[in-house]
Amino acid sequence: MSLQLIRSFIANIFLSPFAFLRIILLRLRKGFTYTSEYTMPPPKFYHDDEAWKDVEPLPQDDGGMHPLAAIAYTEEYSEAMGYLRAVMASNEFSERVLGLTEHIISMNPAHYTVWLYRAKTISELGKPLQDEIEWLNPTALKHLKNYQIWHHRQTIIDALGSPEGEAEFVSQMLEKDEKNYHVWSYRQWLVKRFDLFDNLEELQWTESMIDADVRNNSAWNHRYYLVIGGREGHAPSEEVTKREIEYTKEAIRKASQNQSPWNYLKGILRAAQLPKSTIKSFATEFADLEAPDDVYSSHALDLLADIYAEEENNKESAEKALDLLATRYDPIRANYWNYRKGLLSQSEVAA
Amino acid sequence: MTVPLRSSAQVPSERLEEIISGEGRIEELSDSELGSEDEYEDMGTATPEEQANIAYLECVRIPIHEDLQTSTSKTQDETLKVILPFLEGNPNEFTLNSHGISQLQRKKHVLYLEDALDDYPGGFAMMDASRPWIIYWALQGLTALGEDISEHQRRTAHTFSLAQHPDGGFGGGYGQLPHLACSYAATLSLATAGGEATYGSINRKTMWHFLGRMKQADGGFTMCQGGEEDIRGAFCAMVLLSLLNLPLELPNDSPARQQGLTTFTDNLGDWVSKCQSWDGGISAAPGNEAHGAYAFCGLGCLSILGAPKETLNKYLDIPLLVHWMSSRQCTPEGGYNGRTNKLVDGCYSHWVGGCWSLVEAATTTGIWNRAALGRYILAAAQDKKGGLRDKPGKRSDAYHTCYNLAGLSAAQHRYVYDEGINKGLGEVGLGAPFRWKAEGLYEEDTMWDASDVVGKIHPVFVIPFRAVYECRRYFEDKEGF
Repeated sequence: MSLQLIRSFIANIFLSPFAFLRIILLRLRKGFTYTSEYTMPPPKFYHDDEAWKDVEPLPQDDGGMHPLAAIAYTEEYSEAMGYLRAVMASNEFSERVLGLTEHIISMNPAHYTVWLYRAKTISELGKPLQDEIEWLNPTALKHLKNYQIWHHRQTIIDALGSPEGEAEFVSQMLEKDEKNYHVWSYRQWLVKRFDLFDNLEELQWTESMIDADVRNNSAWNHRYYLVIGGREGHAPSEEVTKREIEYTKEAIRKASQNQSPWNYLKGILRAAQLPKSTIKSFATEFADLEAPDDVYSSHALDLLADIYAEEENNKESAEKALDLLATRYDPIRANYWNYRKGLLSQSEVAA
Repeated sequence: MTVPLRSSAQVPSERLEEIISGEGRIEELSDSELGSEDEYEDMGTATPEEQANIAYLECVRIPIHEDLQTSTSKTQDETLKVILPFLEGNPNEFTLNSHGISQLQRKKHVLYLEDALDDYPGGFAMMDASRPWIIYWALQGLTALGEDISEHQRRTAHTFSLAQHPDGGFGGGYGQLPHLACSYAATLSLATAGGEATYGSINRKTMWHFLGRMKQADGGFTMCQGGEEDIRGAFCAMVLLSLLNLPLELPNDSPARQQGLTTFTDNLGDWVSKCQSWDGGISAAPGNEAHGAYAFCGLGCLSILGAPKETLNKYLDIPLLVHWMSSRQCTPEGGYNGRTNKLVDGCYSHWVGGCWSLVEAATTTGIWNRAALGRYILAAAQDKKGGLRDKPGKRSDAYHTCYNLAGLSAAQHRYVYDEGINKGLGEVGLGAPFRWKAEGLYEEDTMWDASDVVGKIHPVFVIPFRAVYECRRYFEDKEGF
């Protein structure tokens, strides 16, 4: 049972890799015995460990009633957690605590309590942060969709004060999962923390990610963050605007039904305070109301509807574009396109 | 320039032949790792229902073909291949409703969720920090299915009394540090279970202090002390403040006070505003990619801050947001994805589907396609063994069961914001979410029968209305902490 099989994506919305675990572990629950296919070391215990004999573990107290969704913890996990509660209660920060947290994380990488206590221990002990990152790397590669690991990494790199090696690590992670939300968010944090906005390599790397898959919206988002989004509302220069428009047009020509670059183009125009009509002739390459049978992009029609709506006395064309979308080129969103039509007459009334 | 060619979209009759011969489809299902444990039988000739489904699917396809293949398009094509048989026919052999779509398998889902509340073997240690979620998903799913969950009331209260931290808030379980997500799931579970003793088990005073420690100078909230700051935090904190009727002033020991803030809502709307991305959606934190689940958190947060018509229009570019939300509905699948160019997933039935009630309260109604969403949930998201799932080929889990059902509820009911209701409740202090009501069922072009209709769900808190109003009433009547 491979933990790399992490797929079920929404697990990360709230806490960690729950859903994929559920998938895997349901099998266990339905009758498989827990003879793990992990190549696991033999269980580790503390009660007969000389190094821990001064600590009295705090066992889990379930009170008088059986809790809901209770886990019948293994003795190993249960005992380790008992020792963790004990050291947390006495505020112990030590080498042996680091070992204990590593042990628990190996059994439950989604345990935020353990990660937080580990971060605190490292900080209290003044441990070399580089060592922590080296320890973290294989763990992160194993548990791609885990909030805790990424936050822990961010805490350590922030304290370390250097992004050295991080770009390479992020790229390696994205090779395994090119749209991983945590990884991209972490990359945005790196750019901001270490002011990499004008770092040419960062833009080139983003471009290579878009080249690899022009439909990767995460890569487009990162590009926007570099060029505009992270720059505290500063409008792009004329030169940058021109460069971005040309770049995006090329991308659209590769696959015109790809919404990411269309949205990006509109975003650039908005940031540069240019009207959408700036790209009217480009949009008509993909959708022309005069040739309603030859539409190559529903997104071009969508954009044209906006452009016509902004023109004097051209509501009719805007309606025509929206009708084409509602009835023929994107009928699942018919209600939305009709709502947009409604807005046209509203703005007419307002005018 | 390579001009993409418009496809000669596959004509319905050809697809019909595939169905009639049956063979291709069965191979597709059995040789993939997807759904390999399920056995499907040759269904023979296409039934009238199947023919109608196939005709419908052809109608809602975007008739534009692209030659360029990338990782995104390949994954999408492969996924659609696995999903289509469920939208066209009935591989699960469920009983069909009068629209030719699988009926809601109510009993199976109830059994599935009851089981989710039961014990787990030691191999489940990895969900030790997520137990509050499992309980919330299961209880909420059960109430959506019309079950009386009062038998779980005492055990719910007991379970969370163990997870409540002495310094305030709830953790994942006994001895775990307090966390906003756990506090959110715990409080919603307790409110759903109901009963004065249950409400009384929540230590509001320490919760208030805990929330004070989470508040950040920029307006947002961290999930836990030393943890990440993102829009989940902003939403979860607002839910807790509102549902538990906590004071909006920051406690004196709140670090945000040192930065000049005085209330929980200071800078909050502006912070959410910064999370709206360039394409109109809402992201986890400023600068990140727009994402369906974070969109719900952002809209939920603003809908607690004030009347949606005011707060949503004040802090968000609504036309851009609506454009993005609308684009999340996948075609021909009908379900939602969470991000541009990602795959359909049943959980977004709620995360995006559930946003519509909030947005429609700020704009106008009738913007989205409820029938298509209902079709996806009933036809593709129900697991033969009970529970609901991401998509065919995936196993069901409590998470997807809860949020598919919530999405189905959003499609079936009309949730309306009405200033005139619940006079005397929520008059001060984040009272906006107590102005919601269900105003009948959506009845045009539906894909479901009366027996497929799930319960009413409060569109902001995502628990039953009764639970919301009784819980707030209890805490309004309480003097002091």
